[in-house]
Amino acid sequence: MGDLRKSSMRFFSDQNLCYADILPPSEIRARIEVAVLNFLRILASPTPAISDLPLINRRSSNCRTSKGLLAQVSCVFLSHSFCTRSLMRANTAKAFIRVWKVMEMCFGVLVQEKRVTQRELFYKLLCDSPDYFTSQLLVNRTIQDVVALLQCSRYSLGIMASSRGLVAGRLLLQEPNQEVVDCSECGLSGHAISGDLNRLETLILNTDARYIIVVEKHAIFQRLAEDRVFNQIPSILITAKGYPDIATRFLLHRLARAFPDLPILALVDWNPAGLAILCTFKFGSIGMGLEAYRYACNVKWLGLRGDDLEMIPEQSLVPLKPRDLQIAKSLMSSEVLQENYRRELEIMVQHGQRVEIEALYFHGYDYLGKYIAKKIVQANYI
Amino acid sequence: MEPITSDPCYSSWLEKSKSPSHSLFKEELVELYRRAGVASIFCSLPPKRVSPRAPMEIASANVICLQVSFCDLQEILPFSSSIGFCKHPLVSLATQRCRLSGEPCRLSVVVKCSLPSDPLLIRISISDTGVGSCLEEFQGLKFSRQSIGDEKWDGVLSVRTTGKCDNEVYHYQLNLKESASARRLTRLPSNPKNGVKFSGTEVILSMFESADALVAEINCFFQKMLMLKIPNVAYELVVERGDAPGSQCEHVFLANESNPLSFSASNLECLKSGIEDYVLKHGYKKEHLKVGSGTAYCTEGHQNTGWMMDTVIAISEISEPISSCFRTSGAKSEVIYFKDFSPCSVSRSSMKALTSIDWRSFGLTLKSIANQGGYAFLDWEGLPPNTRIDIILHSYHKQAIMPSAKQETQLDRNLIKRAVKLALDDLKEKHAGVLLSAHALKIRSYAPDLAKTIAGLILSSNDSGFQGECFSLLGLQCQGVGGEIVEDCIKKKIISVIEMNDRKSHERSEDVAPFLFEDECLQELDFQEDEYEEGVGFVFLARLYMRFSQLDQLMLKPRILSMGVLESPAWLPTVYWQLEIEHGYSLS
Repeated sequence: MGDLRKSSMRFFSDQNLCYADILPPSEIRARIEVAVLNFLRILASPTPAISDLPLINRRSSNCRTSKGLLAQVSCVFLSHSFCTRSLMRANTAKAFIRVWKVMEMCFGVLVQEKRVTQRELFYKLLCDSPDYFTSQLLVNRTIQDVVALLQCSRYSLGIMASSRGLVAGRLLLQEPNQEVVDCSECGLSGHAISGDLNRLETLILNTDARYIIVVEKHAIFQRLAEDRVFNQIPSILITAKGYPDIATRFLLHRLARAFPDLPILALVDWNPAGLAILCTFKFGSIGMGLEAYRYACNVKWLGLRGDDLEMIPEQSLVPLKPRDLQIAKSLMSSEVLQENYRRELEIMVQHGQRVEIEALYFHGYDYLGKYIAKKIVQANYI
Repeated sequence: MEPITSDPCYSSWLEKSKSPSHSLFKEELVELYRRAGVASIFCSLPPKRVSPRAPMEIASANVICLQVSFCDLQEILPFSSSIGFCKHPLVSLATQRCRLSGEPCRLSVVVKCSLPSDPLLIRISISDTGVGSCLEEFQGLKFSRQSIGDEKWDGVLSVRTTGKCDNEVYHYQLNLKESASARRLTRLPSNPKNGVKFSGTEVILSMFESADALVAEINCFFQKMLMLKIPNVAYELVVERGDAPGSQCEHVFLANESNPLSFSASNLECLKSGIEDYVLKHGYKKEHLKVGSGTAYCTEGHQNTGWMMDTVIAISEISEPISSCFRTSGAKSEVIYFKDFSPCSVSRSSMKALTSIDWRSFGLTLKSIANQGGYAFLDWEGLPPNTRIDIILHSYHKQAIMPSAKQETQLDRNLIKRAVKLALDDLKEKHAGVLLSAHALKIRSYAPDLAKTIAGLILSSNDSGFQGECFSLLGLQCQGVGGEIVEDCIKKKIISVIEMNDRKSHERSEDVAPFLFEDECLQELDFQEDEYEEGVGFVFLARLYMRFSQLDQLMLKPRILSMGVLESPAWLPTVYWQLEIEHGYSLS
């Protein structure tokens, strides 16, 4: 803890960058209080008005990329384009009020020094104001609005990320003054990654692995964990069971910082969605753009890739869905996507087909381990 | 005129009408009426209304038919009712004479049922104490046989008039049915005044009509005249039935009975006051009455033609059902139209003008507009149940010119639109929360939720300094303030801003609402890549520091340890510095 107190903060700043601060609860409460005071001041002034809320624009038009200088990491940033939520426009009036309601809820949570998950917040808001919050998605979006307004991280608002990720392999985790957890002994399911970023931050990490393997799907993770692939190739397996959540990315980032020599390799399906997941680990996301840069890691694409297709039987090739094509389109338009990824994506779209990793089982259930080993040894990752 | 049955044209028409082909039928009828002395006629008969019957019946059926079908005719005839024609212009002329005098005047209508044996014969006398009449005004009266049959009135007016400076009271007889102008006016012996100074006019006519119907109509008419509240004119209606004593009854209509106005009050003020009196007299409550008014001027090029239109709009809440000359109930509004100080029917262009007003921006939805018997009725959608809206329009020339000299000006359609809009704006200006546009109403519906949320925020804080500052901003006492009071206070303020913005939006001023974080300095950053210099980074930092220091309770105190500029691709300049922060939270 002493380290942290005196540690200097280093951050890269592009002068166009907007970022979200991680701040203690008292600071966030202060920001919310400032918001309320400003609102009342303007409301009670001689020329009264109802102030608009300026939110950092979370659109691709406001997205910039920055190639990191001291590391191989490039990230997605949001710049200073603002969109406003105003009460005075009939179709955004509800969104305006939603932001205030979430601020009220978070303020209460912080005053009581608690933490809530987004799901819990949803149910509270649903009961409190059913007219305004009808779905989890709406709650999540509004939380992002508050993050964009107060320019603080979601975690600082008292919102705990739910844990969805798993880690397994040659990694020793220890919470301060607790027992050491050996992730290679956690069985099929691996060790669940906590949603509490604070706790993740304070974990003590130890490893003798040589690689970190990020796996897209839970089933594949289980297969690899069951086969104890991480003992054959000294590695750490990590999965977010789909689209990466903050906690998983946070842990991955910590691992990357703690063990900078370990290449991070991703094992995803051969489809645009898989590539999108890889890119999120790699660059961050626009929707959470204010916090995105923090957790970007230099992830390399191990498989499945275009040159693996020769190993796949014809029957395993499945046509792309319209949703896949949409994702492909938005990935293509992202300027951060590197050339070789772009080529792979083009081939995907041209073939109009996708393949899941499970297709490799055609060659036998243990083929996957061999496949990974072979590719790693050949350094066949981009 | 010979009876219609002997007309050869009519017989041939009758033949044809048995198997009517529409156009032929129409032509014959037009010819018929032209011969009867009708100046002009618009004809579009629906054939099914006509059925072969006895000649006289058909003729009368057709007359009714024509009257009902043609709205255009309203423009020519002052009134469609058979009684109305004769009397109203005469009273209007009398009113003008009274106004011109500038002194307190009386205008009396005496209705006498003269002979008990012939109860339908009535003698109407319209007299006033205004300026003396020049006979031109009577010469200008048109008589249309369409509205009054020969048998009702013989077209004769007996006029006595004198001016203040005249030595005698002149007496004339006017025969309006006489087409030759030479034979219209007959001068009769005058009466000497014997040095007494007065002025006035009396017009007498006799007609066959039901006294009760006439009296009722005159009553109604005077009620409307009271709305104009012409300050110096008192109206009086006297009804005498038979010679027996005690059969006389009087109704007096005093404009200044309640709420007297000075003679110098403008026409608009009089109209406003008159409407208020009228509405209050009929059972509305003063506190629920909201009145807006405006005057629009008719211009040609950039000059005022002198024609103007006063408009008063009254919104009131009905407490109990009333009977009045207003033929409306609740969701329908009657548009009362005055022209030159006399009730008038609504013209088609006026109807069109009323339809084309943007009612929606005042939160009103017009379902339909109808013209019934010369009166325009506006049917509203979604008005609150006990609310009624009355619209009164009065067009006149700013100089009280006598009617004979005036030209029939087709009133600018825009004049009505402008006048009504002025009155609606005035109403909104004076009474907060009235006539809010649909947009404002929708936004206002969110006000309670917003107020509740912000009040909740304030009250859930455990920082008394923060709460105290909030309360003082709201103008509330710090101690013991309940949640509801805070919520209510915020809600009122929000609603008043919404209503104020709604009023302002009519002036087309786009007020941009201030941002919540006004001094958000990051907003202003707009560096271009080629402008990049070393100093820039420092400015950025300085602003960042400023931003932090605004947050009073923030305990972060950044201290710059070092700063530098890294070589980088030209398109991506980067500033790099190190900051030490006391409450270290690692940010990477």
